[in-house]
Amino acid sequence: MADPAEHRPAEEGEEAAAAGEDEDTGAQVAPIVKLEEVAVTTGEEDEDVLLDMKSKLYRFDKDGNQWKERGTGTVKLLKHKETAKVRLVMRQAKTLKICANHLVVATTKMQEHAGSDKSCVWHALDFADGELKEEMFAIRFGSVENCKKFKDTVEEIAEQQGKEEEKESEAASSTAELVEKLTVTEASKEETAEKEETPAADEDVKE
Amino acid sequence: MEILRCSGKTTFVKRHLTGEFEKKYEPTIGVEVHPLDFSTNCGKIRFYCWDTAGQEKFGGLRDGYYIHGQCAIIMFDVTSRLTYKNVPTWHRDLCRVCENIPIVLCGNKVDVKNRQVKAKQVTFHRKKNLQYYEISAKSNYNFEKPFLYLARKLAGDQNLHFVEAVALKPPEVQIDMAMQQQHEAELAAAAAQPLPDDDDDLIE
Repeated sequence: MADPAEHRPAEEGEEAAAAGEDEDTGAQVAPIVKLEEVAVTTGEEDEDVLLDMKSKLYRFDKDGNQWKERGTGTVKLLKHKETAKVRLVMRQAKTLKICANHLVVATTKMQEHAGSDKSCVWHALDFADGELKEEMFAIRFGSVENCKKFKDTVEEIAEQQGKEEEKESEAASSTAELVEKLTVTEASKEETAEKEETPAADEDVKE
Repeated sequence: MEILRCSGKTTFVKRHLTGEFEKKYEPTIGVEVHPLDFSTNCGKIRFYCWDTAGQEKFGGLRDGYYIHGQCAIIMFDVTSRLTYKNVPTWHRDLCRVCENIPIVLCGNKVDVKNRQVKAKQVTFHRKKNLQYYEISAKSNYNFEKPFLYLARKLAGDQNLHFVEAVALKPPEVQIDMAMQQQHEAELAAAAAQPLPDDDDDLIE
């Protein structure tokens, strides 16, 4: 067990070995299902990894007014190769289940956690369970440096996304103008076209 | 104060369900059924996990709880000799109803320094052909092993393993400014609440 992301038993060494980590002492039983191997997709195939760090994630339980553990594993920031959108995905170690999955947007803001300089907190519309849910997350890293790196990277991305959004809305408004002009031109063209086509109109009716 | 605590079955199941580690002890009454999903190289596997009461004063377990069970985990607490002593009883009751199903024996709370049941004192699984794992619901030590073992046995495939669950694309949503201000206020309040523990060696 070389993975530092988990505790070893308090009594290590011989005794733990005696428990036989991989020794199968179970009875032979007949399987109840036959399963075929399937193609595995992570959903992250079209993304580049901007950051990948071990951490522990918490979600805020509003009813109990307390932080609750969500998972220990790897947090990643993933940038889509085409859309340039960035999302945060965190997976639980060993089971590889999803603990968090949400976009980093212009409004994503990291705040410090009062009790720990290895932690920060943020609000997100999270999609970990396949439905959008308002969540407050806290994340803790193994070191102050890692926490700072994470926080800085997210803030950088949020700023970048803000600029992208501005560009997009500028582009959208100029496109809108263009469309308007285009419509005007088309309309005048159509008018001319109509005039030109008028003589043929009778034939259309006959058809 | 509750003197008699149980082996940590509910804590273990909750750990798998939501990731949380519940310290507060509320004995399970009867049974609570939870679907537990795992992504594997052979597709998604769902265990309908019957988290049963450990304390007999809350009803014990009638045969009805065992009928149609396809696999089982029997859990004891390595800091309590009594819970290990009870293992044969649980095993006998289970086997009376469920013949020849894969069973995992789990010794929980191995993170605790002062164990009462040492690893080499655990011998019941050898006599009865059970698989045994030392686990800690607190530290996540071996926490995936019982379900992995059962999934492999039920599918008859020793190469079955957990794979990354598909991370679907989160939809884009417009966030309005008023809501965002409210979020920030809530966040500031939450940031003042302490995190459950400061066990940094869990991370590295």
